[in-house]
Amino acid sequence: MPASPVRENGAAAGSSLKATLAQVRQATATGAHRHALSLLLAELAPETDYVDLARHAKALDRIDLAACGLRPLRVALLASHTLEHFAPVLRLFLAQAGFAATITLAPFDTVAASVLDPDSALYRARPDVVWLFATQRDLPLALPPGAGAADRDAAIAAAIADRRALWDRLRESAGCLVLDTLVELPAEDPFGNLAGAAPWGRRALLRRYDAALAEAALTGVVLFDLDHVAAVYGRRRWDDARWWFHSRHAFAIDASGLVAHAASRLLAGARGLAKKCLVLDLDNTLWGGVIGDDGLAGIRLGAGADGEAFVAFQLYVRALKERGVILAACSKNDAETAASVFRDHPDSVLRFEDFAVFVANWDNKADNLRDIARRLNLGLDALVFVDDNPMERDIVRRHLPEVAVVDLPEDPSGYVTALAAPGWFEAAAFSAEDAERSRYYADNAAREAVRSRFVDMGAYLHSLEMVATVGGADPFHLPRMAQLIGKSNQFHLTGTRYGEAELAALAARPDVTVRHIRLADRFGDNGLIACLLLRHDGGDLVVDTWVMSCRVLGRSVEAFTVGLIRDIARAEGCGRMVGRYVRSAKNGLVADLYQRFGFTQANETDWVFDLAAPTDGWTTWIQRAPAPDLPHA
Amino acid sequence: MPDRPEIVGRLETVFQDTFDDPALRIHDAMTAADLDDWDSLQHIVLVLAVEREFGVKLNPAEVGKLENVGKMVDLLLEKTARV
Repeated sequence: MPASPVRENGAAAGSSLKATLAQVRQATATGAHRHALSLLLAELAPETDYVDLARHAKALDRIDLAACGLRPLRVALLASHTLEHFAPVLRLFLAQAGFAATITLAPFDTVAASVLDPDSALYRARPDVVWLFATQRDLPLALPPGAGAADRDAAIAAAIADRRALWDRLRESAGCLVLDTLVELPAEDPFGNLAGAAPWGRRALLRRYDAALAEAALTGVVLFDLDHVAAVYGRRRWDDARWWFHSRHAFAIDASGLVAHAASRLLAGARGLAKKCLVLDLDNTLWGGVIGDDGLAGIRLGAGADGEAFVAFQLYVRALKERGVILAACSKNDAETAASVFRDHPDSVLRFEDFAVFVANWDNKADNLRDIARRLNLGLDALVFVDDNPMERDIVRRHLPEVAVVDLPEDPSGYVTALAAPGWFEAAAFSAEDAERSRYYADNAAREAVRSRFVDMGAYLHSLEMVATVGGADPFHLPRMAQLIGKSNQFHLTGTRYGEAELAALAARPDVTVRHIRLADRFGDNGLIACLLLRHDGGDLVVDTWVMSCRVLGRSVEAFTVGLIRDIARAEGCGRMVGRYVRSAKNGLVADLYQRFGFTQANETDWVFDLAAPTDGWTTWIQRAPAPDLPHA
Repeated sequence: MPDRPEIVGRLETVFQDTFDDPALRIHDAMTAADLDDWDSLQHIVLVLAVEREFGVKLNPAEVGKLENVGKMVDLLLEKTARV
């Protein structure tokens, strides 16, 4: 083995990391935890080797993550291979994804015992997420050469039934998100190619198992595609047998960062922390050249090697849009000239209408990004910024540290990988609402344009012809409701987080009422925009959870909702409504919500409204649509 | 080809970085019992850091034999002589 390149790389990376860790230590010691965290995470990449990841993890242990505003998350790892080394790395990448994670490890090889014993340490830890971290080494799936389809199907069905038994028990007993694993294919097999080509081969069986697991997955179960990570890492490197023999490590220790990063992005998606909007520069990002100088015929798009690379990048961006990512353009350009490419260039895949917001001017990009976030009613931490110009990226990084910035390589053929690899848009599921989301935001931009014509807010709201539909936790809306409760921060009165399974269980209780609100207007359907969870407590109706999508702020949905709560309280024979407000780092927006509707503060969190009291200031411009049949009225 | 004092010096830096203690000094008889943090997980980090620093790869049997610092230095002398 050539010794010197390894050493040189290691030494170079080591010295830069050493300097960073010294700065992190200093910042931590002075109580500047947020600064320490951003310094530490800036150096962190999925490909970082384990030695450096371990040093990162040690530094992270000294940082107060709650003080950095990260969201608490309790994760339990269950495996029959060694993961002690992996837990601190997972915590590191979960911090990068926005979580202050507490990770518990069940004792080695106690997966079934931990899940099946209701008194196990697993349940005492009250996990939010249980990760059944299986690998192909756990699966005894094997058939004699030449075995038939019936044997094969029976073996797969038995293996899947084992997993379902674990899922069912976990969902019943812990009400948490279950993360199970699509296992990886081993690099080597005595049958070689035939292991994949013969129906009884080991690789063929594992592929079939993974496919069957994906079909069997239920609500509340998310599958982590470990096989994809192993393939990206390289299967021969992944199967690092020496650590398996030494200490039962099931995969290469240096792949820990890649696995932890992918899992953390998936959990971010499952918990509503995925990015929502892709902000794109135009010149040399979506086409080669400068439209203002080179003209429509001169820019490189379509024909020629790098013209094709730009088309491929546009195709990838359009596919993101079709799965629910909102697109915005942010370019130093004349607006008409820039828009002409999307209107008139025959090889432009993206059309002008694909952008929910189109900003082309000569202002600085940090200001423009703020403006884009405001117009879309999104936080800056929902944006991903893509620009070929390193100076623009640097300005945005420095002025808007919340915005995720993608480092494009010089060669446009590397753009797709550069945008895809960080996993900003990972999602645990795909719903019809996701496909429609872009349209909601484009409609919102149209509403903004109309609003500027009205001086009188009431006249504007009246002109929207808003209609709300109220429903319960039916199977169609349940995932979206859990998603909204999980991802809402600003308009979330109590900060509760209910997963799908938990929400369904609560909705079934006689002393709980769960409602969702959908809103439509003359510009289009806004989809599901608010959720309520109300608890009946004697003569009181307690508002346990009230969340609303911030894209409908200022549309009198709040007044409509408080009226709805009052109607439910009356129907249930309650005398009072008790609104609850639990302050968080992000929900200052609704600190005075109950006061605005005439509730009286009873204690630190509770606000009371007597149903006999007058309802001044409850004006809403929203009509209620005839109620659909509710399963739990 | 590095000599023994050079290997000891570089190994000491690896120990300092791994155990996050710039004042740490190593000696031949030192074992995991002498360092609170030297558990089975840190042993793996140490082995990986040594491999990276010296550009060598140890097999499972060799990893098992590294019970003290002196043995580590012996093994590294032997391994680096070979490359």
